Amino acid sequence: MATNFKSPALAGTVAAVLSASPLAAEEGRSPIMCEPGDTYIMNVMVSAHPYWVPVYEAFQQAAAAFGCETVFSGTPDYDISKQIASFEQDVVRQPAGVLLHPMQSDPFIEPINQAIDQGIDVVTFAADSPLSKRTAYITSDNHAEAKFAAEEIVKQRGETGEYAVLENPGQSNHDLRVTSLVSYMEANYPGWELVGRQATNQDSTAAYRAMSSIVQANPELDAVWIPEAGSAEGAVAAIQEAGADVLVMHADITPTMLEHIRAGNVHMALNPNQGIQGFMGFVALHLAAHPDIFEPFNDYKTSGYNPFQIPFMDNGFAVITQENADSFDLNAYMKDR
Amino acid sequence: MQSGTDQAIGIDGTRQPKGPGVAKGLLKMRETGLIAIILLLVVVMSFASPYFLTWVNIRTVIMAFAVEGIVVVGMTILLISGGIDLSVGSVTALAMVIGGWLFLAGFDPWIASAIAIGCCTAVGAFMGFFVTKIGLHHFIVSLAVMVIARGICLLGTGGRPLGLYTLPPEFKFIGQGSLGPVPVVILTFIVIVVIFDILLRRTTMFRKVFYTGSNERAAAYSGIRTKRVIFATTTLCSTLCGVAGVIYMARFGSAQPTFGIGMELNVIAAAVIGGASLNGGTGTIFGAILGAALLSLVSSSLALLDVSVYWQDIIRGSILLAAVTIDLFLNKRRG
Repeated sequence: MATNFKSPALAGTVAAVLSASPLAAEEGRSPIMCEPGDTYIMNVMVSAHPYWVPVYEAFQQAAAAFGCETVFSGTPDYDISKQIASFEQDVVRQPAGVLLHPMQSDPFIEPINQAIDQGIDVVTFAADSPLSKRTAYITSDNHAEAKFAAEEIVKQRGETGEYAVLENPGQSNHDLRVTSLVSYMEANYPGWELVGRQATNQDSTAAYRAMSSIVQANPELDAVWIPEAGSAEGAVAAIQEAGADVLVMHADITPTMLEHIRAGNVHMALNPNQGIQGFMGFVALHLAAHPDIFEPFNDYKTSGYNPFQIPFMDNGFAVITQENADSFDLNAYMKDR
Repeated sequence: MQSGTDQAIGIDGTRQPKGPGVAKGLLKMRETGLIAIILLLVVVMSFASPYFLTWVNIRTVIMAFAVEGIVVVGMTILLISGGIDLSVGSVTALAMVIGGWLFLAGFDPWIASAIAIGCCTAVGAFMGFFVTKIGLHHFIVSLAVMVIARGICLLGTGGRPLGLYTLPPEFKFIGQGSLGPVPVVILTFIVIVVIFDILLRRTTMFRKVFYTGSNERAAAYSGIRTKRVIFATTTLCSTLCGVAGVIYMARFGSAQPTFGIGMELNVIAAAVIGGASLNGGTGTIFGAILGAALLSLVSSSLALLDVSVYWQDIIRGSILLAAVTIDLFLNKRRG
């Protein structure tokens, strides 16, 4: 079976498993490698969002290293029923596993549990469904991102000021980024006042309207924190039109926001390491689908659970500024791929 | 009602077969064409994918449109009467939010759901009042209600989904349970479809819906209280949205204020593909459900064939365009 080791680290991991596995010695093939046709699916909502591109690229790279196939799936809409329908349709195909970005946590509990019960492993990434039986969750540390953003705002604008947040209620990672920053500011910098908080749900038009109103109502506004890049696009446009001196910080990155960073319209973006997320997301999923290759020191297997479970894996985050913006150019990254 | 010697005007306003022309008439029925397309798709896909003709996939395909199909029933009846409702997505979300909010406030989930459905009925009556008494068009009234209902949802929840994981299992059963291999959602959907299909085909009360939609003035001259009919169909559509919202609430274990955005397009598309006319007077529940099934089958087939998700919207839109074009030509032939 042809194997393309694009990652030296992963090649080492696979080599270690190969040498450690008695089965590998007997058959000349590692049990960790995919059988022909073994397919892993990555399922998302708002599938045209550029965030998924490097995640899926790394997901594919990891799959290639194990000789597996991949499919990109989901819904182009921000619609929970459509994403669940697409996920259930994915499960019908009996894939080896699904790397899932659940739009909301609770509605996915039953669909994930049904997939697990059918022997299809599910790993969540970037957003979670913690009450489900998903085998692993990989994301950046949203508390750490929020703390970093808060400290940066204070570093740039001093110990007192006014700030606003836009939010996307219901999506766990976005909620954490906002609530953690607000809590951190309250606890550590009481001189900072939260003067605006609007739900814009990743909609740049809604963010434009909300930010316009916030800036008009609060002419002394010093900073804004936005948990995702879609809303940031609209918010920056509103701030520029108003001519306001507002420090803009947001999470994630899109090509549009990268241009704003290059132009100095946005101070910085905190971007989860998408490549690590996709690559390690696949590895977590693949190991969950092959739990027999090792014997962890736990009771999960005898208790009827998949022994390979990771409650939380941190893929880290990068800080994007004017200085390093070129390293986050998605078009350059995807050229010739 | 008869026209000529070998055909009659059917309940849905189309020419129906009589006597030896049955086979010929069947060929002219929209449902026959849809059934043929669906069967062809099933045959092709059963060869193209080993997963297609499995019970798990069939269940998934039906589940994908079953709850929305309940709204399709209401929309079809409203379209036949000459109306349209753009607020179905918002009103469905409203039912979820009201039901969820009351449950979290301590109400029994069944009582909370009954109140939620009642509120949706009131919303429908509100729209019906503005259409029949004030004289506004359905399009404008339902557009306004779509925005108002969405605003109430966001206001009532602070924009956040209500977590209803603590709903009792007996209530969740209506959204997540199964009787044997068949999900309760599908059984509920079938019961509602059969009831309203029979009512629409067999009862005098619902026959008035066709007459009102075909020619409101003529229907009024013949003694039908057309405004009452329009009021009733508008209210019924919103009530069925309430039923769908409660089932969604039980299925998802949450109530989302942003749920159902764009639902009106899917629902209207299904009804029109199934033969309902935007000009009123024509359509069947069975046809509309076939339309919904066709759209769901297409989505399922494309997913199983690894076709990009973006093709689904293009193909869905193309099917809708073809259906409306066929409807236009059929109407021209009927004069």
